[in-house]
Amino acid sequence: MNWGTNMDSNKTEDTALESLFDVARSNQPEPGPDFLARLNADAVAAVPRPVPVKKTREVSIFSRLKTLFAASGLSGAAALGIWIGFVMPDLVAPFSMVTEDTTGITAFMSDADFSVLSE
Amino acid sequence: MDQSTETEAPDAALLVAFANGDPTAGQVLVARLGPRLFAYAARVLGDRAEAEDVVQEAMMKLWKIAPDWRQGDAKVSTWMYRVTANLCTDRLRRRKTRGAVDIDSIAEPEADLQSAVEQMTEKDRADALQGALDALPDRQRQAVVLRHIEGLSNPEIAGIMDIGVEAVESLTARGKRALKAALIGRKDELGYEHG
Repeated sequence: MNWGTNMDSNKTEDTALESLFDVARSNQPEPGPDFLARLNADAVAAVPRPVPVKKTREVSIFSRLKTLFAASGLSGAAALGIWIGFVMPDLVAPFSMVTEDTTGITAFMSDADFSVLSE
Repeated sequence: MDQSTETEAPDAALLVAFANGDPTAGQVLVARLGPRLFAYAARVLGDRAEAEDVVQEAMMKLWKIAPDWRQGDAKVSTWMYRVTANLCTDRLRRRKTRGAVDIDSIAEPEADLQSAVEQMTEKDRADALQGALDALPDRQRQAVVLRHIEGLSNPEIAGIMDIGVEAVESLTARGKRALKAALIGRKDELGYEHG
C-alpha cells in the first residue's frame, strides 16, 4: 500500500499509529520507589521554616518608651489624686466610701484616731 | 490541612500549604506530579537515569518558588511540564548529534503500517514507538509525547513549549508523519515480512 496517496490509506495509517500510542499510554515508564523516596526526602528537607521575627533596635527603643510612658502616666495620675485629696478634700468627698458611721472600723481598730474622717 | 483533604486539594493549594510549612502537602505533590513528569522525561530523553535527574531538578525548582507562588497565575502541572521540557531540551542540546530524522529526507514508504503493527507483540510495539520517538527532532518529540501520550490539549502544550497553538498542531502533524515513516522503515527489524 502506498500510504499518503489517498484518504483511506491515511486513515489506516493513523489507526495503526494510534494503536501504538495506546500501547505507550498503558505502558508508561514508571519511576522506581527509591527515586520517589528521594523526591519525598527532598520535599521534606525543602519545607520553608518559619523565620523568627527579629526585634530591630528601633522596635526595641519604641517598646521601652511605651512602657516608660505607661508607668509614668499611671504614677502621675496616682500622685495627682493624692494631691487633690489633700488640697481639695471637698471635691472628692462625694466619691469617698467612708461614711460618718465609723463604728465598723473602730471595732477592729480601737487604737486608731478616726476623728479626722468626721471633720 | 489533613491527609484526606490534601489528596483532593488542587495543586496550587498544596503548594501554598507546603510554603506554609506542611511537608505532607509536598509529598502529595510528589506523588501526583513525580510519576507523570518522569514518564514524560523518560519518553523525551529515552533514558531513565537522565529522566530522574531532570525530574528531581524540576521538583527542587518547585520547592524553591513555592513561597512566591501566586495562585491563579498558572497551573502548577503546566509550570512543571514547562520546567521539565526546558531541562530536557538543555540535556538534548548537550548530547552529541544522534542522527535525528529529518522528515524531508525520508523516502515515501510503500509498506503497510497497519499490517506491520498487527504483527508486533506489545513489547515490540512499545519499543518500536520509543525508537521512532528517539529519532524525531527534539521539538516534534516533545509535542507528540505531550499530545498523544500525556494527553494534554494543544493550548496546554502551547503554554508549556512557549509557542502558539498553530505551531503545536504543525509540530504534532509533522511528528506523526515522521513516526509513520520511521516505523515502516523498521519493519524488517521488527520481523515484519512484506506481503
